Amino acid sequence: MHIFILQTILLILLVGTGITALAVKDLLASVVLFGAFSFFAVLLYLIMGAPDVAFTEAVIGVVSTVFFIAALNKLKRGCR
Amino acid sequence: MKKGFGSIVLDASFRVLVPFTLVYGVYVLVHGEYSPGGGFQAGALLAVGIILSRLIQGNEKALFNIKGNVALILAGIGTALYALIGFSTIFLGGKFLEYGRLPFSVHDPAELHALGMLGIEIGVTLCVMMTIVAIFDALTGEEEGI
Repeated sequence: MHIFILQTILLILLVGTGITALAVKDLLASVVLFGAFSFFAVLLYLIMGAPDVAFTEAVIGVVSTVFFIAALNKLKRGCR
Repeated sequence: MKKGFGSIVLDASFRVLVPFTLVYGVYVLVHGEYSPGGGFQAGALLAVGIILSRLIQGNEKALFNIKGNVALILAGIGTALYALIGFSTIFLGGKFLEYGRLPFSVHDPAELHALGMLGIEIGVTLCVMMTIVAIFDALTGEEEGI
């Protein structure tokens, strides 16, 4: 039961950060929210008992955030 | 990054964080048979160490300064290592990646399997690490006249 409540909270946070990352105007804020989305996905994978997938997602979340910010630095455009 | 984000706080945290990340990457690679992790995750961790050194110290003065061309060549070498181990077992009379046929004088077959798996994981690690570094180099480097 506790696990179910925790999963529900994490799922709501996951969907909330995802929708906010799509809706927000500032691109840097969008990238940071995408990092938060990735982190909640990591926690969900861990709770569901897939530590291997969670590990991969954590590492790839960091790398993709760095890539997005590097591309944003080259784009020279703050918002969409 | 042409010019890094260097400052006192970033340099101090770099000295603590990056050696830990690199050692953890090697641990994940070597310990991959028994625990979560393996070639892909270890390669991504090692690449994160290299990318952090580039972000903080800049492209020219970076501690682990691997350019895009060299990175692509090393990625190819990693793939070639995988293929070499895979096809060498075919030439020794087995199937693709049949580790039991490897020509090492180890009596325990399980140990031979672990050895072969370590070999192909080193190949995967090299390929993933250098591909990530090459993508980062393409994203942040200067354009050399397309």
